[in-house]
Amino acid sequence: MKTSRMRRPALLVALPLLAACGGRPPPPATTPPARVVSLAPSITEIVYALGAGDRLVGVCAQCDYPAAAARLPRVGGYLVPSVEAVVAARPDVVLVVPSPGNRDAVRAVEQAGVRVVVVQDRTLADLWASMRAVGAALGLADVGERLVADVQRRLEAVRERVAGLPPRRVLLVVGHTPLVVAGHGTLQDELVSAAGGVNVAGDTGGVWPQISLELVVARAPEVIVDAAMGTEEGRHDLFAGLATVPAVRDGRVVAFAGEAIFRAGPRVPDAARALAAAIHPEAFGAG
Amino acid sequence: MTLRPPYLTARRLAATTAVLAALLVLSIAGAMLVGPVAASLRRALVDPGSADHVILFRTRLPRVLLGAVVGGSLGASGAALQALLANPLACPHLLGISGGAAVGGVLALIAGAEAISAVAPLAAFAGALVAIGVVYLAARAGGRSTPYALLLVGVVFNVLASAAIMLINAIASYSQAHGVLFWLMGSLSGQSWGLIAAAAAYALAGLAWLAAHAQDLNLLAAGEEGAAELGVDVERARRAVFVAASLLVGAAVSVSGMISFVGLIVPHLIRLVLGADHRLLLPASFLGGAAFLVWADALARTALAPAELPVGVVTALLGGPFFLFLLRRELGRGTS
Amino acid sequence: MSALLEATGLRFAYGRRPVLDEVSLALGPGELVGVIGPNGAGKTTLVRLLAGVLAPAGGSVRLADRPLSAYRRRELARRLAVVPQDAHLEFPFTALEVVLMGRAAHLPPLGFPRARDLTVARAAMQRLEVAHLEDRPLDRVSGGERQRVLLARALAQEPEVLLLDEPTTHLDLRHQAGIHDVLGELSRSRGTAVLSVLHDLNLAAMYCDRLILLAAGRVLRVGTPSQVLTAEALGDAYRTQVYVGPNDATGSLVVLPLVRRRG
Repeated sequence: MKTSRMRRPALLVALPLLAACGGRPPPPATTPPARVVSLAPSITEIVYALGAGDRLVGVCAQCDYPAAAARLPRVGGYLVPSVEAVVAARPDVVLVVPSPGNRDAVRAVEQAGVRVVVVQDRTLADLWASMRAVGAALGLADVGERLVADVQRRLEAVRERVAGLPPRRVLLVVGHTPLVVAGHGTLQDELVSAAGGVNVAGDTGGVWPQISLELVVARAPEVIVDAAMGTEEGRHDLFAGLATVPAVRDGRVVAFAGEAIFRAGPRVPDAARALAAAIHPEAFGAG
Repeated sequence: MTLRPPYLTARRLAATTAVLAALLVLSIAGAMLVGPVAASLRRALVDPGSADHVILFRTRLPRVLLGAVVGGSLGASGAALQALLANPLACPHLLGISGGAAVGGVLALIAGAEAISAVAPLAAFAGALVAIGVVYLAARAGGRSTPYALLLVGVVFNVLASAAIMLINAIASYSQAHGVLFWLMGSLSGQSWGLIAAAAAYALAGLAWLAAHAQDLNLLAAGEEGAAELGVDVERARRAVFVAASLLVGAAVSVSGMISFVGLIVPHLIRLVLGADHRLLLPASFLGGAAFLVWADALARTALAPAELPVGVVTALLGGPFFLFLLRRELGRGTS
Repeated sequence: MSALLEATGLRFAYGRRPVLDEVSLALGPGELVGVIGPNGAGKTTLVRLLAGVLAPAGGSVRLADRPLSAYRRRELARRLAVVPQDAHLEFPFTALEVVLMGRAAHLPPLGFPRARDLTVARAAMQRLEVAHLEDRPLDRVSGGERQRVLLARALAQEPEVLLLDEPTTHLDLRHQAGIHDVLGELSRSRGTAVLSVLHDLNLAAMYCDRLILLAAGRVLRVGTPSQVLTAEALGDAYRTQVYVGPNDATGSLVVLPLVRRRG
């Protein structure tokens, strides 16, 4: 979920927030909620995957998948949801992922008497738990279980595809200036492993560490997955001068334009597959 | 009282500048050998295809050189602003001028400019000019800016600039949001040789322009009226220093984001040792600022190895307490 | 003796508050003129107008028969010097560096002081008994010493006209007399035209050739000390009872405010 990247700027602040926000069990629902608000793009995708997209009456501004979600009413941003807009939508339940900015807004929504369900999105374990929790909250617990099984199966298929191959050294870049990469303990780190790679930044001690270019040279990744985009396009030559890095030497700096790699949602296996294709192109029919 | 002679001669200027320049060269060479990754200079020189060579000459050297250019720009502009505002507490970051430059740069990026093109630096330059104009007008109380007025205006402007950047952050798309980090925390890494050369040219032009007004700055440091009475064309000098200082700050921020306190600490320390004559203070603040940032960046990339700290954090950690100490001294001084 | 510095019909207001109203004066070479009057009379404003750092709302100031606005600042600084009431110098310039700033108008923009500049500066410091402070940073000297350094700076400009705004505020008796001796010498032997705002009427009486009594932005009286320092004129200006009598010790006048006695 791209939301993980958004958390990076306020990491130090977010950690205590996450500790506080997580772990509260939702009050049990009597009838399945008919009006649902989702405050994170990953949750929106999960709701649609559960077949309950028609119950959504409001989503955050960044919710753009599937296409139908882009037409739903907006209730503020993922970072800063609008309390008034959420309450005005008269939801039966609000589904939330903790973000660096939404803690106060979520609390305000709760105090307005609206039922709030909080899920996490940092690891694969979080992903399965969140699918189950959203399913339960919508009264679709069994659908949720089936979704989990389906996504796990698709992910496993990717693992099998690269099972016999020697793992390749991978660096997953999310920002150029400053140079920020995925570290250990992130969903992206787990996806890299699932895709047959080894995260060379896994030992740097942070989840989204800022590193220096010389570390890239020292760790010598064989594949660089470059997920820094948008206005960063002009910096595609960031790694160009590092001739001793295998990824640069062999032309294995792969630009990743997809959102899926950052969303802890049902498209995670697609992201894993794309990663695997970048890390082990021979196994996928490409050079 | 002091060890230095009571006034500045051309010979002392040349000698001191030469010594400082030599110290800077040594700092650059020394900082190149410091980093989270061990690299052998000998191997790098012997084998241009080795990883050591890439590390030293492709990652560290550009970074160290850019640090020198940015640090020098911030040091010199800090000294000039302090004279212009007749206040030793002035500093581009504290006054919100860096903030203004950053807002300009962020706006340019949001509008779709590429980071390497000339648009972002020019927008940062324009932002710095606007900020200097606002701060100057707002802080003048009867012809002189008191420390309090200046501080207040600077704090307010900084808050405004940060808020503006955060606002832009909130409404911008995800992909642009990461770039805002760069502006807020500063980074000397990953710039091309072309950009470094351009920044160096900007910086030297700005320094030369300031240096040409060094005597004016000496007189302006005693207040604008006094300067006029001693023969300074205050309007012209003020305009020239404004533009030159903006040039320097704009260039620095546009290539490295907001790096705080260099323009405050370095001129102060130089003044303590070498005196307040701007003919020496300006080049010395440039050279001193350059060395300071080079070492601050070396610290930034090694303190938390293998991860690194944003260089702006290091300068803030060094500069914040120093500024508080200075403030205590200034406020406690009063009029004697 | 033609006027070197001449002000005609000066008018000035800060915002809507009028400060000076139709003030005219003439200052000739070799004259030592004192400007006296109560607080708020506009004396400092007058000095700033005469120095050309403020532009009058009405009237004009002319130096050597040219309007001030016709002079470039550098040129003006070579002919006219100002000693302000105080200068809060927050930078550690040494006393000599400050006095050398007075030579700035005589030097090219980046020029370093030549032998002559150093001689002039040091001589000025000697005259004002601050030569021993040469290498002392100015933020480490007393108020009185700073005042004398500022006067030395003005002297270093080698001006034809010298304007001073209460140059003796922080000075003790000895230095007060000393300053006035210096000013007197300047005007007599070098022909400098000196105009000084003074609040000590006795010193004004002793040293000045002419006095200008300013009150509420207007010139109440102009003339020799004996013409201006009358109980009536002073009582009018300062709005209190004043005693004026002969000063047998100096041959000039003594001026004292009359204290209301108890009982």
